[in-house]
Amino acid sequence: MDRLDLPQGTLDLLILKALSLQPQHGWAISERLRQVSRAMLDVPQGSLYPALHRLERRGWIKASWGPSDNNRHAKFYELTRAGRKQLGAEMDAWQKLTTAVSLVLEMQ
Amino acid sequence: MLGRVFSELVHRMRAIVRRDAVERELDDELRFHLEREAEKYVRAGVPRREAERRARIVLGGVERIKDDDRDARGVGLFDAAAQDLRYAVRTLRLTPGFTLAVVITLGLGIGATAGIFSVIDRLMFQPPPMMHDPSSVSRAYRAYDFRGKHRIDESFEYRRYVDLTQWSSSFSQAAAFSVGVLAVGVGQDASEVPVGRASASFFSFFDAKPALGRFYSASEDRAPRGALVAVLSYPYWQSRYGGRRDVLGRQIAIDRGSYTIIGVAPQGFAGMADGDTPVAWIPVTAYGGLRKSTFADNYNWGWLGILVRRKPGVSAEGATADLSTAYRRSWQAERAMDPTLAPVDVAKPAMILAPTPSARGPDAGAQGRIPFWVGAVALVTLIVAGANVAGLMLARAFRRRREIALRLALGVGRGRLVAQLLSEGLLLAAAGGLTGLGIGWLVAGGFMRLYGGAGPGGRALDARTVIFCAAITLIVGIATSLAPALVGLRGDLAASLKAGVREGTYQRSRARTALVVVQGALSTALLVAAGLFVRSFANVRAMPLGYDVDHTLVAEVNLRGMQLSVDEQKRLMQRLTDEASLVPGVAGATQMVSTPFYSFEGTRIDVPGIDSAGRLGPFELQLVSPGYFRTVGTRIVAGRAIDSTDRAGSPLAIVVSAEMAHRLWPGENPLGKCVKVDAGGCSTVVGVSENTVTRGISHTAEANYYIAADQANRATYGLYVRVRGRGADYVEAVRRRLQAAMPGVSYVVVMPFGRIVGTAEQSWQIGATMFSALGMLALLLAAIGIYSVIAYNVTQRTHEIGVRIALGARVAHLTALVLRDGLRLGAIGMGIGILLALVAGRWLSPLLFDVSPRDPAVVLLVAGVLLGVTCLASAVPAVRAARVDPNVALRAD
Repeated sequence: MDRLDLPQGTLDLLILKALSLQPQHGWAISERLRQVSRAMLDVPQGSLYPALHRLERRGWIKASWGPSDNNRHAKFYELTRAGRKQLGAEMDAWQKLTTAVSLVLEMQ
Repeated sequence: MLGRVFSELVHRMRAIVRRDAVERELDDELRFHLEREAEKYVRAGVPRREAERRARIVLGGVERIKDDDRDARGVGLFDAAAQDLRYAVRTLRLTPGFTLAVVITLGLGIGATAGIFSVIDRLMFQPPPMMHDPSSVSRAYRAYDFRGKHRIDESFEYRRYVDLTQWSSSFSQAAAFSVGVLAVGVGQDASEVPVGRASASFFSFFDAKPALGRFYSASEDRAPRGALVAVLSYPYWQSRYGGRRDVLGRQIAIDRGSYTIIGVAPQGFAGMADGDTPVAWIPVTAYGGLRKSTFADNYNWGWLGILVRRKPGVSAEGATADLSTAYRRSWQAERAMDPTLAPVDVAKPAMILAPTPSARGPDAGAQGRIPFWVGAVALVTLIVAGANVAGLMLARAFRRRREIALRLALGVGRGRLVAQLLSEGLLLAAAGGLTGLGIGWLVAGGFMRLYGGAGPGGRALDARTVIFCAAITLIVGIATSLAPALVGLRGDLAASLKAGVREGTYQRSRARTALVVVQGALSTALLVAAGLFVRSFANVRAMPLGYDVDHTLVAEVNLRGMQLSVDEQKRLMQRLTDEASLVPGVAGATQMVSTPFYSFEGTRIDVPGIDSAGRLGPFELQLVSPGYFRTVGTRIVAGRAIDSTDRAGSPLAIVVSAEMAHRLWPGENPLGKCVKVDAGGCSTVVGVSENTVTRGISHTAEANYYIAADQANRATYGLYVRVRGRGADYVEAVRRRLQAAMPGVSYVVVMPFGRIVGTAEQSWQIGATMFSALGMLALLLAAIGIYSVIAYNVTQRTHEIGVRIALGARVAHLTALVLRDGLRLGAIGMGIGILLALVAGRWLSPLLFDVSPRDPAVVLLVAGVLLGVTCLASAVPAVRAARVDPNVALRAD
């Protein structure tokens, strides 16, 4: 099965969602997204880090250094309260968008 | 929303301020990612190297990610500025001549201003170093009317100081102090150096803790005579005692006493000294008590400055009123002791409180105004320098119009372009400012030497000067680069791109022309002032003084309180005269009691046939030994000099100056006349000497008379020593010889006569040096300015000139065309400058000597110099214009 390109602007949403379950480091986020999407979504790793830092700057996620599961020094990100709110808003918007798009596509 | 903005701000700040750390974190994070990704492939059975390669491919270029990240981080603005700066450095490097010219020009202008600022600041505005809360501290002055004249005085008697402190209530602290040149050390080691006399309370005005030992206490500073204790200054402790800690308890001979060293003042502490830091401080009552046992009882000896600190909440006016009341009460007390004193309502005694720097006192006078003059002149130079640089930048902006137009066409933002031109200007200004700091340091040092005294601690440049320098650098940088930036952006983009050099007519820049005219005018004005001062100084130097300064030394004897009878002292002086004559290189030595500009002796004079001859005075006495006139170089115009036949017991002889003869016996032959000195018998006038200048440099002739020391009932205390060669070279040899003959703690001071006279000539010398230096600088800058404008115009007209040559114009004609351009600019500037100088002459004339502020010779000379320099500055481009090859010029561009 071919991989899908991420539509513009959805990467942020996916990152926020991935982080809403537990704090994670960058590599884990990309792995997680790949696994959960059954490897259908290709998260461009090159865009991941600039996106993470952008979200951090906006105050939606915050970072801290800590030991990883194999006990190495890694940078962990977690959602902030503002990030959780943002995630809710973006998920809402996404739902509306997909519903609307499906409605249009299903027109007879 | 607000939270998000704040969060952005914090991160951006961190990205800028802690740039390295942020980059390192990013590195770590990406490396961690690559390792995990590679491990994943390894677990799937891929060899490690291949796994690492794949991981890198999947992540994409690490550097590109970093770049994206940096852009997103918003380091952009910062980077843009850095880029502008780098670009500016590159462009400036391409034109090293231009860069150097601007940096040096700005350096000279900024340096002159900053140097002078540091001097003015130190003299006028800075409180003494280490003073605690200077705003509540004032220096006290007194004012009173004396014989119809209003007088302001900064000196107080010790008794007055006590009166004022005990009868006023507005002050939490008061101190008496003075700095005087006193003898320190004994015998060959004795030297005259500044010593501070201070009340014990003086030290508590400062945040100063002794570097060693302690300051003296109030119980050691008590009338009638305080304890003989001394606190050394830090530099003296270092230089004289090598900073040894065992100086405490040692003795040091100061003036008339032997003092015990009890402490060392901290580094940087200079008390209230305006000039050199005193070597030591001693209690006022110790010094006073040794000088006069009754010094604390009467009002006869005013020698102390007073410092007061207002209590919190007391206004300056209230404190002044309170202190004036105390002064009036003290005046009454003095009047009770001395009924001849004018009553309070006539003398109107009052007190004045002024800031602590002495140049800010109410009696600062002409000497205090010199720094302001110099400051104004330096500022004018800075303006000339700024105008010059602005002109150069403008020319550059015109030359770069096409480049700028091109970049605008390529989509560079106008704001970014202005920022770029501005950063170029500021970079130049910064380089100029740094150069200026160095030059300023030299200027400040030089000016202080000229002005006398290196200032407390000798700091030529302090933080305030550096800040001032940075501020004017910034202002000059913006001012000189903004105008060209605007010119560069103005105008029609397309036209600039199309036009090139091949424009039908060249455009003269009105702004540049104005700038050059301003430079010419200001430098002309400065040069006229310089010429006037140089002539004044020359007149002063050329003035016949009536004695020979260059080959003469002055030796003065200080007995340091030793009591000698008149005969003993006469013998001592005779012995010193003999000793001095034996020093190799000495041509003669003679005794004296009056030194020009220094000390005047006089005594009562009666002349038969003239009613109260004293009113024709003052008459100045000189006691001489044989050979006086030959030694000093004063000519005898009639009769004979005092010689060895004029001994005790032989007929009394007197030599009078031509002026004295004229005043006493106008139109008569003075030889053989009788003058009764000090109510004694007739002294016969045996000779008439030429007039001498002794009381300040002016044309008022003085009335002097000369009597043989042997025939006087008092002793001389000094010598003139004539040497074969420069006086200054013999000072030490003569001093050693004479000092060896001095009894006990007494000592002798020897100095070149020239130094005494030089001090009297100082104000003209300062004026001449300063105006000449800055005037020449301004002229040089103006010449560069004219040159660059004309040269630029010629470049602009290359095409037109080519056409003219092709059509047969003669070389001489072309040269004249260009020269005329330059001369017109020069002449306009010169005209305005001369008008300026004539107007300013009104304020200048009191400072001049024997020169009218409208001296035609000076004005003509300056006009000539300016036109000459203008010709020279435009000749180079004129020659270049004549050499234009029409083939090249017409095909170019």
